[in-house]
Amino acid sequence: MIHYIYLSVVFPLLGFLINGLLGRKIKNEKLIGTIGSGSIFLAFIVILVSFFELLAMPADSRSVTVPFFTWMNTGELNVGFSYHVDQLSIVMSLIVTGIGFLIHVYSIGYMHGDRAFWKFFAYLNLFIFAMMNLVLADNFVLLFLGWEGVGLCSYLLIGYYYDRDFEKGTVADASKKAFITNRIGDFGFLVAMFLIFLTFDSLNFASVMPQIGKVGDVGIYELIAIFLFIGAIGKSAQIPLYVWLPDAMAGPTPVSALIHAATMVTAGVYLVARCAAIFALAATAMMTVAVIGLLTAFFAATIGIVQNDIKKVLAYSTVSQLGYMFLALGVGAFSAGIFHVMTHAFFKALLFLGAGSVIHGMHEKQDIRHYGGLQKYMPKTFLTFLIGAIAIAGIPPFSGFFSKDEILWDAYANGGLLFWIIGVITALMTAFYMFRLVNMTFLGKPRFDEHHTHPHESPSVMTVPLMVLAVLSVIGGLIGIPEVFSGEGGNVFKSWLAPVFADANLILGPHGAHSHFEEILLMVLSVAGAAGAIYLARHIYLNSPAIATNTAAKFKGIYNLLLNKYFVDEVYQKTIITPTVKLSEKFLWKQADNKLIDGTVNGVAKIITIIADHFRKFQTGVAQIYAVVMMVGIVITIFWIMSRL
Amino acid sequence: MELAEILFLAFASIAVVTAIFTVISRSPVISALFLVINFGALSGLYLLLSAQFLSVVQVIVYAGAIMVLFLFVLMLLRPEKEDKYFVVNRKMKIFAVIVGLFLFGQLAFAIFASDIGQTVSIESSRSEQIGKIAYIGENLYTTYLFPFEAIAFVLLVATIGAIVISKKKLD
Amino acid sequence: MDSTAINNFNSDLAVSLSAFWSYFPIVFLAGVILISIAIEMYSKSSKKILPWFTVTALLACAYYSLLTVTDTGVYFSGMFATGGLTNIFNFIFTFGGAIVVLLSVDYIKKSGIYYGEFYILLQSAVLGMMMIAGAKDMIMIFIGLEQMSITFYVMAGLNRKRASSNEAALKYFLLGAFATGFIVYGIGLMYGTAGTLNIDFVFSNIFAAEKNLPGIIGILLFLVGFSFKIGAVPFHMWVPDVYQGAPTSSTALMATGGKVAAFTALILAFRPVLGTETLAVITPVLAVFALLSMFYGSIVAIAQTDIKRMLAYSSIANAGYMLIGLAAGNDYGIEGVVYYLAAYSFMNLGAFGIVALIESADEKNLLISDYNGLGTKYPVLAALLSLFMFALSGIPPFAGFFGKYYIFIAAIESNLTWLAIAGVIASVISVYFYLRIVVLMYFGKGESQVTPEITNASLIGIVISALLVIVMGVFPGSVINLISNF
Repeated sequence: MIHYIYLSVVFPLLGFLINGLLGRKIKNEKLIGTIGSGSIFLAFIVILVSFFELLAMPADSRSVTVPFFTWMNTGELNVGFSYHVDQLSIVMSLIVTGIGFLIHVYSIGYMHGDRAFWKFFAYLNLFIFAMMNLVLADNFVLLFLGWEGVGLCSYLLIGYYYDRDFEKGTVADASKKAFITNRIGDFGFLVAMFLIFLTFDSLNFASVMPQIGKVGDVGIYELIAIFLFIGAIGKSAQIPLYVWLPDAMAGPTPVSALIHAATMVTAGVYLVARCAAIFALAATAMMTVAVIGLLTAFFAATIGIVQNDIKKVLAYSTVSQLGYMFLALGVGAFSAGIFHVMTHAFFKALLFLGAGSVIHGMHEKQDIRHYGGLQKYMPKTFLTFLIGAIAIAGIPPFSGFFSKDEILWDAYANGGLLFWIIGVITALMTAFYMFRLVNMTFLGKPRFDEHHTHPHESPSVMTVPLMVLAVLSVIGGLIGIPEVFSGEGGNVFKSWLAPVFADANLILGPHGAHSHFEEILLMVLSVAGAAGAIYLARHIYLNSPAIATNTAAKFKGIYNLLLNKYFVDEVYQKTIITPTVKLSEKFLWKQADNKLIDGTVNGVAKIITIIADHFRKFQTGVAQIYAVVMMVGIVITIFWIMSRL
Repeated sequence: MELAEILFLAFASIAVVTAIFTVISRSPVISALFLVINFGALSGLYLLLSAQFLSVVQVIVYAGAIMVLFLFVLMLLRPEKEDKYFVVNRKMKIFAVIVGLFLFGQLAFAIFASDIGQTVSIESSRSEQIGKIAYIGENLYTTYLFPFEAIAFVLLVATIGAIVISKKKLD
Repeated sequence: MDSTAINNFNSDLAVSLSAFWSYFPIVFLAGVILISIAIEMYSKSSKKILPWFTVTALLACAYYSLLTVTDTGVYFSGMFATGGLTNIFNFIFTFGGAIVVLLSVDYIKKSGIYYGEFYILLQSAVLGMMMIAGAKDMIMIFIGLEQMSITFYVMAGLNRKRASSNEAALKYFLLGAFATGFIVYGIGLMYGTAGTLNIDFVFSNIFAAEKNLPGIIGILLFLVGFSFKIGAVPFHMWVPDVYQGAPTSSTALMATGGKVAAFTALILAFRPVLGTETLAVITPVLAVFALLSMFYGSIVAIAQTDIKRMLAYSSIANAGYMLIGLAAGNDYGIEGVVYYLAAYSFMNLGAFGIVALIESADEKNLLISDYNGLGTKYPVLAALLSLFMFALSGIPPFAGFFGKYYIFIAAIESNLTWLAIAGVIASVISVYFYLRIVVLMYFGKGESQVTPEITNASLIGIVISALLVIVMGVFPGSVINLISNF
């Protein structure tokens, strides 16, 4: 099956084509949903079987390139739709298709009765198609194609309710913001691609990877790494380009779960991990990655504490968790970063889908101040959401604990104490705002009008995916038990990915020596802190809500700063957007474009038209003249050739 | 100068002169008559190249059959003088003649300036064979079998084309 | 003839006959022509049978050609080859021919040339093209060319009632005969110096002798004659007049199959000498022809008001681009040209198909201004025409882009960067007149005045062309791989 891995790309494409072309005619929601989910399920099966085949191979040969067809080959540039299956790409594909499938199933219930049900599924399938190209690509061009493809799908799906209002603008504005912000990152990625081609004369992983470190000097690796990271910043919503992700919540909730939490936003992490060897050679770039990741994690968490929209909290939480992943990559813990991608995909998809279930049950209301006591109305959603929250808070043995702890430990071991402290504070804040969310939503007394609003549990087509994800969130971490407990090589996940990062780790060298005691001590500290934060959240929001309002009142300045997300959007508006618009309108459009460029273009066009009119007069329609022209041509040609011989 | 050369020059000049007259003559009938003479001269040239069969075929088929048919048709149709159909553009005409002469000069130069005779080596036995019907027949049905069949379709499509263009009423 | 010669011949013929299935398509098509004549003679409903019979036969040929593409061989005493590029060209000819039939079915009814002979002529033209594609001998090239050209002369003048059609036919005939004269003279000179007509031998040995001026002039005249057939500047003058005057469906065949066939001859001739000094003598000529064609075609097309004339100039410009591929004189160039020929064929078939649809019975609605506002009235037609215009102007992801891309890359590979740059500039100029139509269709003021009857057969033909243009644009590598195998 591994040699038919392209089927996992073809199935979603087929689903997209069927739903996209015929969906409007089919009308039957069940059929459309079955086609949409079924195509992803088939892709998942393909990936799963390939995974087991990969597992059966010897560890050092678990890397297969499957050519599908050549797209274009000219001289040095040989680009094809060929797929690269190795430990890293198979993990990513499992996440994409597995979680993708669950979310497709969930969407059948969530989008029930939507005006363009077929379009939604067509877009989702197209997204999976693009995402699979992204993770399975064996060259940068195909990866970029997938990269742009997922960006496009994200744009389409954020703007799915294009005619609704969203915050201060419309949904369409939110989708535009996402698209434009992403384009800035894409520019970085493109530059990196050019640099890679200049340095290695190729864009195929198979020929670039072995050359890393053998050609070019350190400077070029720094440059490539920085530009790749700019690409990753855009797609994975890091400082300073994270602003689009919270606004992306304008899309339907399953989209937020699939694209803006579990899969697409981790593409940047995947890209950096894929190019780990390049980053390993670029110390400054690595440090930049770590610092940006850490800062993003921290600041997004602070914003998350005060948000009142259930999806907004989760959005900032996602930004924060993505920051963790980059922190891991930046300190050289590549497999820890990917591990967190996986566990985060489980619990964040779970949380988003749970939030979707709540929103569904509460008739599209999203403000947690008007929730409360939903536990009795939607017990299944509550239980699964709680599991998700425990997982993200980092309580053992839930999955989030293992991945987060591994990152924190590596941050300490390779980055120093400061990294660890900020990381732990972020983790505590995470635990706090997640349980703020749980308490305000499900526990306590209802803060909505129970006579008018009748919350209801979602249908099983929605709750079953929740349960599956909940199980994964509980046990998913067990494949990555720290070596301090499981012994050398006991971290299954790490050993599985080890061959992919072997080059990078070789360049980086071994970790600094630290004792087991240190590791266990830090672990206990962070778990205790998280438990404390959970308790605090319960105390404040369940027992004495006054504390929260009092604190907010006391630190009004800080509270407003956080509530308004540090005014970053406003700052961008003032410093970048408005001046750019003005510049383009006043100068580029009215002066440069209208006068200079249009003038030149029109002038050239006029001259060409005049020439054309003159030439046209040669065409008299008299055959004899045509013959004479031919003869003249022949005479001149022969004369020329004779003179050259 | 040998007899063959004298004959060659004679036939060649007749062929060229009659060809020119065929083109410049304004009356179709006279043109056709010059063409008959031209064909005659050509058949003489074939004979000198020891292609006696071709020479005879040239006379029988072209000069004999086709040109006679031509002349019959022309006389029956009695086409009017063509003067009025031509746009007379003296300057262009003179220019065309000059260009034509120039081209002729170039080709002549190319042929005479090179040592072309040395590059060609056809066995003399073959050149004697060329005129014989048996040789032509054998070659047509062996080496040139495929082109021979193919050219049948050229004739076929020419016939169909002539019918399509000239048939009085097509339904 | 002595007995060894006869034995040789017998064994050769035995080989040829046993390989019957290799050259089956051309024999099959010849048979189809004869059967079509019989149908036309004896059947009252021949006009209903013939188009579909022709389409089926041509598609069968196309399919068979692709099926046996790896089946290379030379038969009939080195006269005729099969497999490889020959079959790829055959595919273009037969598939393109089938599309022309689809486009013609209703067009010829509309424009009063509803003759069954039309299909027989079309089959004959395709047969001629296939003869050229398989030629291993100058004689075959010449016979194939004549077969095709004679058919085209007739097809151009098919609309006997119209002066423009008659004029086109006569002009094409006179000038075509003139060009053929040069080709024959060139072949004669080559035979005179090489002593054989075998293409590979002639082209690879003609420069072996020192100062073989007649041979080189022969090649040059051969090249000039075919430059006339492909419509390269300065031998292009007939193209606009003939394309405009001929019935549109005939023009579609001339502009695609005819041009591809002429290029085929050039490719066959120059392929044996790729990368040698031999070709280096000729390439500057090709480069200059290419340069002149691209710019003349692109610039003069801007001044046109008639869409068929505009497409004619566009085809002159396209001949220029393809000549770049030949001038590059490397394998990439040939691959690029073959790819571009296929792409060009389907782009133009689609464009002419739509022109034929829009055209009214009295040959009206052929002005570019008649396409004003088509976008709102006939969205499907307008979208398809836009697609072909985008493809022709070389905008990715359509086939036209990759055609130009491969050719320009080939030019750069053989140090003809200036020519590639010139090609890009000419492409930019050409965008103006291609997109003008798109702009007119969608943003033109006023209502569309045309009332075409959109028939199924034409639409199928156009849509198939569009699909091919897209597929070739999305999977250019696969197509190039197929071509580069041979």
